[in-house]
Amino acid sequence: MDLSLLRPLLFRALTLFGVLITVLVLLAVSLGATGFSDKILQATVGEELRALRTSLTQTIRDPDQLEAALEARRQELLASYGLDQPWYARIPGMVWRVLTLDLGEARNLRSYDGSSRIADIVLERLPNTVLLLTTATVITAVIGILAGVWMSTRVGSRLDRFVAYLAAVSYAVPTWWLGILLVLVLAFELELLPPGGMYSAPPPEGAFARFLDLLWHSVLPVLTLVLASVGPSIYSIRTLTLNIAQEDHVAVARAKGMPEPVVRNRHILRVAAPPIVTGLILGLAGSLGGSILVETIFDWRGMGRLYYDAIAGTPDEGLIVALTFMFTLLYVIARLVLEVLYVWLDPRVRYEGGP
Amino acid sequence: MRLDLRTVLRELWATGAGRAGLLLFGLLALAALWVVLTFPRDFGPRRWSNPALWGDYPKAAPPAWTNLLGPRRPEHRILETRAPAREDGKLKVYELAFDFQGRQPPTFLSFSLADVTYRSGPPTVEAVLIRPDGGEVPLFRTVISGPFPGEAPPYRRHQDEPLRVALDSDPNAVEATYGYLLEQEPGVDYDAVQRQLPLALFGRWVDGGLVPLEGRYRLEARVRVEDPGDRVGRVRFVAGGAVYGAMGTDAQGRDLAQGLLFGLPIALLIGLAVATLSTLLGTALGLVSGYAGGRTDLLIQRAADVVNNVPVLPLLIFMVFVLGARLWLILLVLVLFSWPGLTILVRSMVLSLRTSPEVEAARALGASRGRIIVHHVFPHIAPFIFATLIFSAPSAILAEAGLSFLGLGDPTLPTWGQILEQGFRTGAVYLGYWWWILPPGLLIVLTAIAFMLISLGLEPIVNPRLRRGQ
Repeated sequence: MDLSLLRPLLFRALTLFGVLITVLVLLAVSLGATGFSDKILQATVGEELRALRTSLTQTIRDPDQLEAALEARRQELLASYGLDQPWYARIPGMVWRVLTLDLGEARNLRSYDGSSRIADIVLERLPNTVLLLTTATVITAVIGILAGVWMSTRVGSRLDRFVAYLAAVSYAVPTWWLGILLVLVLAFELELLPPGGMYSAPPPEGAFARFLDLLWHSVLPVLTLVLASVGPSIYSIRTLTLNIAQEDHVAVARAKGMPEPVVRNRHILRVAAPPIVTGLILGLAGSLGGSILVETIFDWRGMGRLYYDAIAGTPDEGLIVALTFMFTLLYVIARLVLEVLYVWLDPRVRYEGGP
Repeated sequence: MRLDLRTVLRELWATGAGRAGLLLFGLLALAALWVVLTFPRDFGPRRWSNPALWGDYPKAAPPAWTNLLGPRRPEHRILETRAPAREDGKLKVYELAFDFQGRQPPTFLSFSLADVTYRSGPPTVEAVLIRPDGGEVPLFRTVISGPFPGEAPPYRRHQDEPLRVALDSDPNAVEATYGYLLEQEPGVDYDAVQRQLPLALFGRWVDGGLVPLEGRYRLEARVRVEDPGDRVGRVRFVAGGAVYGAMGTDAQGRDLAQGLLFGLPIALLIGLAVATLSTLLGTALGLVSGYAGGRTDLLIQRAADVVNNVPVLPLLIFMVFVLGARLWLILLVLVLFSWPGLTILVRSMVLSLRTSPEVEAARALGASRGRIIVHHVFPHIAPFIFATLIFSAPSAILAEAGLSFLGLGDPTLPTWGQILEQGFRTGAVYLGYWWWILPPGLLIVLTAIAFMLISLGLEPIVNPRLRRGQ
């Protein structure tokens, strides 16, 4: 790759890193300024002291001595959690801890091997979310490109109008409600597909059978995500291709007698590729949000379902902070991947003086 | 190009999508207005989230009109009277009559009275069912609680909390019904009567089993009073059905039609308020950024860049979780995260307008910055901004619904998202309670589509090249 391409990439990476830090600071400030973080930390300290009191009563008989020992431990704990400082003094430490994935302990939820470390729980769920999201995005992109390009040769047909309406309606239908409908119809009325979960109970033996089972369970959530975004995707790619197909250089290529596939691949699609990637970038935030709710519906054991579980019952603040950060991180990483793709596809990119 | 509201509306009406959108929106707005005028302001906490109020309703009953499509199930009946039908000195008789048809008896029976006032001695109440065959079954009798020490007349009882008896499980009612049926037909099985009391009350013992007896039934509440001025304000008899109303009920027996209606003005408010505020903010920042230039421009554009790149839903979840689930807060957060797109667009429009002859002329004439922005820049982008406003409304409605679905909705204001959330949490999806799941989602879609159609119809106004014949 040309070295001059690294500069714009670096610039984007810096912006996205700025986003990450901004979000983190925002999280820290809203936790601190509302007294929320004090409340959480005080509760943690209280819990530790209660546990300590129970164990100390076994060894220390004198009540005064016991109280003194507890008080000393309390001061130690307050200092270690930074509760002896005002909340704004704790922000840098907090941001640093989250950045290094030192996310604390979860209240009730556990990882599958029983760990209560939030980092363990979240990291165990992360691949499931990534799997769901990338599968859906790739399928949407492939259908979008194939159908969009094909549709651009049939502008004005009945199918074309149908896609236009589908795209408009897609903006109006909540993805998660669509998921519920699919469960209601395909899983319960027709009993074609499993209504939720990632594996059958009990899961089948053997790696390949397990994989097939996972695939089987992923059909509905992936279908939901694809259905929600495929309409707008096809429509925008169709419009993009159509606009480029009307440009002079395409007419020249045709006039030179180039075969149609070459015109389409080299002169239309090659030019349309960067804006198609831009479309994917823009759709990413939406599908990320959609995946949180779709995971909830389908009991897909990813980070989105974890959000739902962390909010329900006794809310788990530490987990919610960690998830918000992880989702932002995931978004930033996905954006970076797409930016690299974009720069690779469109060598004209130069960010002199910003966008 | 100057556009007033009348021209915009006329142009909108001229397009198919615009007309459909205006009609749909008008319909929704009228219904919302009716709800605002007739529903109490505190509908959420006082009625919707008050389980005591929904005790007389069937639980998880499909809409009444499903009877037209499938097997007939008993309809829900709430009979109520506020004045005695007959008075005979100290005896006041409240009468509730209804026709019983069909094969299935009511699913439950409940009798309640409220708002009792007496002066000297407490009244006695007796509930009697009079059957089409002329028989009388005394179901229940009680004495209203007497005066407390130190209490002065008139004594008021059951003002807020009605005196309620579940007749279908009341042992007295079982005994009375068994006794009555035994007089008619020897060999009645006590266990059968106890098990199927509603059927026994509305039926006969024939060939070793209970069969329904169709006809006109009357329930009399005989109130014996000490003082002729004593009265019972409300007598109610509920014959529980398996279907209810236009939209059915949820697992707590709440009338879904009411909840769905109440959600309508809230959804419109969310859509319009967020769209208006974020459009105002985005436009103002875009105008300032484009026209002021320099450091202000850089600052606003950097901020827009960052905010534009934040995934909104996770942050929204976080903010609402930390700051509390209140509607205005949800709206505020939505506004704060939805301005950057418009700001970037408006800025680029302003940049190209800045060098237009019109602005140069105005500047040459000595017009102030503010005047140029208001009179020579803004009018050119106004139609575009109006279209953006309409276009952005659905996303706010969808965002609130998603948040409510995660359990972060404002608990004092029932919204469609919350109804869906309760349905999902209670397992309505798995139990096949479609009437609980489909309508709220459909209403969200319908409201969003109304906005979408209007914004489609606005396209030719915003983009004059699309205007027909020009």
